[in-house]
Amino acid sequence: MNRPIYEINSLKHSYGAHTVLAIEHLTVQPASIVGLIGPNGSGKSTLLKLLGLIEKPTEGTIHFNGRFVEPFSNEARFLITMLPQEPFLMKRSVFKNISYGLKLRGNGSDIAKKVNEALSLVGLDSNDFAQRPWYALSGGEAQRVALAARLVLKPKVLLLDEPTASVDAASAQLIKEASLRARQELGTTLIVASHDWQWLYEICDETLHLFKGKVFGTGRETIIFGPWQKLGEDKWGKTLSDRQQIIVPAPPDQEAAAVIKRTSVREDGSTLAGEGIVLRGTVSRLSLERKTGQLFATILVGDLPFTVRLTPQQVKEHTLFPGKTTHIHYGFKQIKWI
Amino acid sequence: MNFLVEGFLQAFNLLLSGNTETYSAISATVRVSTYSIGCSLIIGIPLGFCLGYFDFSGKKSIRTIVDTMMALPTVFIGLLVYAFLTHRGPLGDFGLLFTLPGIAIGQTILALPIVIGLSATAVENMDPKLRITIMSMGANRRQLFLSSLWECRHGILAGAIAAYGRVMTEVGISMMVGGNIKWHTRTITTAIALETNKGQFGMGVALGLVLLTIAFCVNISVSFLRRRY
Repeated sequence: MNRPIYEINSLKHSYGAHTVLAIEHLTVQPASIVGLIGPNGSGKSTLLKLLGLIEKPTEGTIHFNGRFVEPFSNEARFLITMLPQEPFLMKRSVFKNISYGLKLRGNGSDIAKKVNEALSLVGLDSNDFAQRPWYALSGGEAQRVALAARLVLKPKVLLLDEPTASVDAASAQLIKEASLRARQELGTTLIVASHDWQWLYEICDETLHLFKGKVFGTGRETIIFGPWQKLGEDKWGKTLSDRQQIIVPAPPDQEAAAVIKRTSVREDGSTLAGEGIVLRGTVSRLSLERKTGQLFATILVGDLPFTVRLTPQQVKEHTLFPGKTTHIHYGFKQIKWI
Repeated sequence: MNFLVEGFLQAFNLLLSGNTETYSAISATVRVSTYSIGCSLIIGIPLGFCLGYFDFSGKKSIRTIVDTMMALPTVFIGLLVYAFLTHRGPLGDFGLLFTLPGIAIGQTILALPIVIGLSATAVENMDPKLRITIMSMGANRRQLFLSSLWECRHGILAGAIAAYGRVMTEVGISMMVGGNIKWHTRTITTAIALETNKGQFGMGVALGLVLLTIAFCVNISVSFLRRRY
């Protein structure tokens, strides 16, 4: 295995008294694609800002290519770049926005050619767009120009924070393609925070699930949020919209979130004593994880999506397809509280 | 009302005939206001940037003081500067009383809070995403400062114009510190005050129009620069 491009140790970041991120140890391999998954406020953007050397962590260290780095570190500032969630351009022309980073690097040769190439990478015609002022662009165009301004730098690491969240479908597709080309052609490490789980599972070598500032899994787990009601001795639960009940062991507090690490599919809705919980649901989506060849079924139980990892053989055996009613099963041992 | 019409005609006459006394006052006004606005921009923009950009204890108090000082009366500044520059004052040995640099010191004190306050406001209104964008492009601290400053140039320019307008049109400092000495420290505003006291309203209006013309030229130039950059 190569030396990691990033190594994080005992990282903690707080805004005032509120800790928003706490990661004990994390490594990222060079030229890999890492996806960050998690609800709003889970710490994805904060992690990207720390990795992008925009902010200094309150505690802990970040090593880049084996060297300790912090904001303005000369070892890394020309190698890492980040695209924020909302498109933002400086008050200058498209050409000057894209060439800005090159000029910071003193990279003055062939700027026009490089800017034109970067614009075409994101599907924009340089004749039409290069001299446009910053305010004469749509949201999708502005985000593509912002991405071009990063790609022109040929970065070692490209951090993307919800790159397709505020753009139309066509722009989103172009942004996705341009990002992946950077990895294919330049060996750029991509770290992408997105709610587009399906896209992340398709492209990522690794996905990290963040919740309340902590990394707790690969994003294939099912999370069920509180509040929980006590149903009996060491037995708590939550009633779903279709009146089925999710049963869990005693939570640490009523508002805790339960992570079900593994669930399975079964045809039969019956259970044996002590075997676990079985719930009836409907398959809403089947997706493929390209790297492992595994399939993931999203099964809606009431309004709650459960993710089930399956082999192609299991999908065939259960004849699973979107719309089919089936049953899922989990044991208490598979539940972790966060 | 005839004196207004007379004033317009006299203004053209003064400017076109190359009246030396008028041009002396114009020259003194332009020179002294250029010194003072130059000094206040050099000192005020970095201070305003720091006040708007950084969070530190006492920031709100400093901001309140700066905002209050924006309304400093010119005669009060004139009095203070006079007290410092008079031969009995702590800076009396420099011989700056009744000189253009002396007026410029007073006008710098007048313009400085405006430049600091409006620059700080421009920086505070800066989009927080700008910092992320500049840093993510690989800027060092100096580049971050300069690029951020450039991005809020329109707000800072507005502050500079407001300060320049205040400096050009003040009377109190020029009168008290400059002494309104003909051919030497007489500015347009002190000349207007003098001519009005003499009952020469036409001359006063003419000089007022000259002042307006200068202000108009400055604003036209600034608008041109704004459009261009």
